[in-house]
Amino acid sequence: AMGTGTPPSPSGTAFEETRLHVFTLDYPHVQIPFEITLWILLASLAKIGFHLYHKLPSIVPESCLLILVGLLLGGIIFGAEEKSPPVMNSDVFFLYLLPPIVLDAGYFMPTRLFFENFGTIFWYAVVGTLWNAIGIGISLYGICQISAFGLTDITLLQNLLFGSLISAVDPVAVLAVFENIHVNEQLYILVFGESLLNDAITVVLYNLFKSFCQMRTIKVIDIFAGIANFFIVGIGGVLIGILLGFVAAFTTRFTHKIRVIEPLFVFLYSYLSYITAEMFHLSGIMAITACAMTMNKYVEENVSQKSYTTIKYFMKMLSSVSETLIFIFMGVSTVGKNHEWNWAFVSFTLLFCLIWRALGVFVLTQIINVFRTIPLTFKDQFIIAYGGLRGAICFSLVFLLPPAVFPRKKLFITAVIVVIFFTVFIQGITIRPLVEFLDVKRSNKKQPAVSEEIYNRFFDHVKTGIEDVCGHWGHNFWRDKFKKFDNKYLRRLLIRENQPKSSIVSLYKKLEIKHAIEMAESGMISKVPSSVSLSDYHEGKIKPLSPTEMENMREILTKNLYQIRHRTMSYNRHSLAADANEKQAKEILIRRRHSLRESLRKTNSLSRERPVLAFC
Amino acid sequence: VPWASAPVPSLFSLAVTSEQIEHLHRRFKQLSQDQLTIRKENFDSIPDLEFNPIRGKIVHAFFDKRNLRQESDGLADEINFEDFLTIMSYFRPIEMNMDEEQLDRFRKEKLKFLFHMYDSDHDGKITLQEYRNVVEELLSGNPHLEKESARSIADGAMMEAASICVGQMGPDQVYEGITFEDFLKMWQGIDIETKMHVRFLNVDTIAHCY
Repeated sequence: AMGTGTPPSPSGTAFEETRLHVFTLDYPHVQIPFEITLWILLASLAKIGFHLYHKLPSIVPESCLLILVGLLLGGIIFGAEEKSPPVMNSDVFFLYLLPPIVLDAGYFMPTRLFFENFGTIFWYAVVGTLWNAIGIGISLYGICQISAFGLTDITLLQNLLFGSLISAVDPVAVLAVFENIHVNEQLYILVFGESLLNDAITVVLYNLFKSFCQMRTIKVIDIFAGIANFFIVGIGGVLIGILLGFVAAFTTRFTHKIRVIEPLFVFLYSYLSYITAEMFHLSGIMAITACAMTMNKYVEENVSQKSYTTIKYFMKMLSSVSETLIFIFMGVSTVGKNHEWNWAFVSFTLLFCLIWRALGVFVLTQIINVFRTIPLTFKDQFIIAYGGLRGAICFSLVFLLPPAVFPRKKLFITAVIVVIFFTVFIQGITIRPLVEFLDVKRSNKKQPAVSEEIYNRFFDHVKTGIEDVCGHWGHNFWRDKFKKFDNKYLRRLLIRENQPKSSIVSLYKKLEIKHAIEMAESGMISKVPSSVSLSDYHEGKIKPLSPTEMENMREILTKNLYQIRHRTMSYNRHSLAADANEKQAKEILIRRRHSLRESLRKTNSLSRERPVLAFC
Repeated sequence: VPWASAPVPSLFSLAVTSEQIEHLHRRFKQLSQDQLTIRKENFDSIPDLEFNPIRGKIVHAFFDKRNLRQESDGLADEINFEDFLTIMSYFRPIEMNMDEEQLDRFRKEKLKFLFHMYDSDHDGKITLQEYRNVVEELLSGNPHLEKESARSIADGAMMEAASICVGQMGPDQVYEGITFEDFLKMWQGIDIETKMHVRFLNVDTIAHCY
């Protein structure tokens, strides 16, 4: 409270000078951080509010509720001050609010599934968005030509620009809705991957048409420049991301002395990749996604457990806050005087968005199914089409339109808002019952067991082997090749103590730790060790354990309380798997081994073999 | 062309085009060095297979008579193109127009193939020793791991299998090994039909042999 007090006013006599202020109020000094904090606090309180009534989030996705809160707030501000509430600043959105969400999504993306379906995702993202943009643009232009609607002043290029900004499927909205409905991973990755990858083409189309609108003549060379631009935007963004991802991994190799700032590097490098890409007008979303996916594998092995937890929690927190703020701002910005309502334009926009999306998905799927081994069924197609939600990205893009070139900007804003509200509310709410009605395959939330991991691994090798035998370079071939390259060069360079780990072994060790903890807690640690391996070493068969022990073990195994570091896909941003207390676990293991050896000596029934269930 | 006269196994005729058969035949000739049959030694000429930790089991699977749908048991010494195609047929992708029964049979076939790979002594059960063998082979590519780890992992997995398949075991019961029915139970959650396939679509991508 030591801010600048009011300066003593120059007064006539000495008796009228102002005394020392006991209590001052200096709002302008803290206005900006104060308001930001209030907004974030409000957003978080709203979230708590929703979850109080536990059924609510399952019926209505949070995004809808947040928009409603925003609308309410906007209405209050509008009513109180009689002017339009602060519109979400596009810069704030693109530079501060969007990156955390994409980072979170990219960091926890199931890479294997993503790359297996990469062709399809790419196909939908690029060709699909192009199809939608041009289709919507041209059909809207056709509507505008009808003079009865009073839209004849909107040119073809303006329509195409509008089409390109409204056809982009939005990752924020998709995440918000798909999180709760738990469709199978394949479907999820198709829709979500598409929403990420289409950023490249959206950026290109938006800038292209915007420049075209402002240029006098358009030559053929400009169109070719546009196509070249697409490749540069996409590939450039990815390259920046990968490069910075490697740098980040390399940096974390040396951070073992200063563990405390390890998480910082992850966030700094990924944010750096985003803004570097934005600096060159490349695709920031693809950059940050590529950075996160690259960084993930190596950083994980270099950082400490605590840093890893911090990274995970902080990332989820940031993305959660961002998402909430985005939706609230969308609600707030809707209220105000930025609108121009035209029945024809708005309703036809909505109609065309839906029609072209459905058509696009259907036609594209017929083509891509030829190249896929597992063709996409009609149900899948329906969910993909239905899950094409629009969100804050097109919202911000439309606010960025220069009003000088677009005299009907307000009309566009209104149309965009209507489409967003429709997709988020109607499609968002109805997708869950539809998924259940259509009986779409849901995700298998079962935690893997050791035997499953073994089977999967075994199976991968069989598949690779067969592919080698019949001479086919399938996915497994490339994945194998990359793994070899990775093991030979990349891991040596980027990871501190490079011990090639087997996922089976790490999984097994985690299981044993958990098992040991449970046994310690249930007081079984001093009892007879599992006689399974001890006796069958001689007989080659498994003898049952003592009933209590068997019961205990079976309970543990069937409860599937395995905590596996990172390898499960975590889509739900509200819950994070807890981490085992490693130090305590190791203590327990040491004690257990001692007790095993003790009981061995006591029973004296076996030779001096080491108990088979011990491990390092 | 000698292969033209060999009858194509009936299962295969459903899904595979003649183009794919041609591709496989070309590959067969490469492996057999233009002979009519392949022996185990011919598989040594595939360079990438060397790095595969379960190479032995894969090669073995080609000569396993149970996979070749022959009534007898044991190992064949050599296989001809028809047998080669039979083995490949286990890896064909599912089709859209298959009904429930066909899918089920399809799935059982694929799982039986895998089961035979685990069950090396052909007694219809996967015993603890065989399971250990598999895990050891799987982890053999990793020089840092001790045999003890592999063993304990196999034991843990076997216990899991026992708990899933048999449930409550009495004090005198002994769990002999995983039978095929138990095996089916364990793979219930995983949709093997969609994963276990190899695309022989591309005729151009032929990896070379030595």
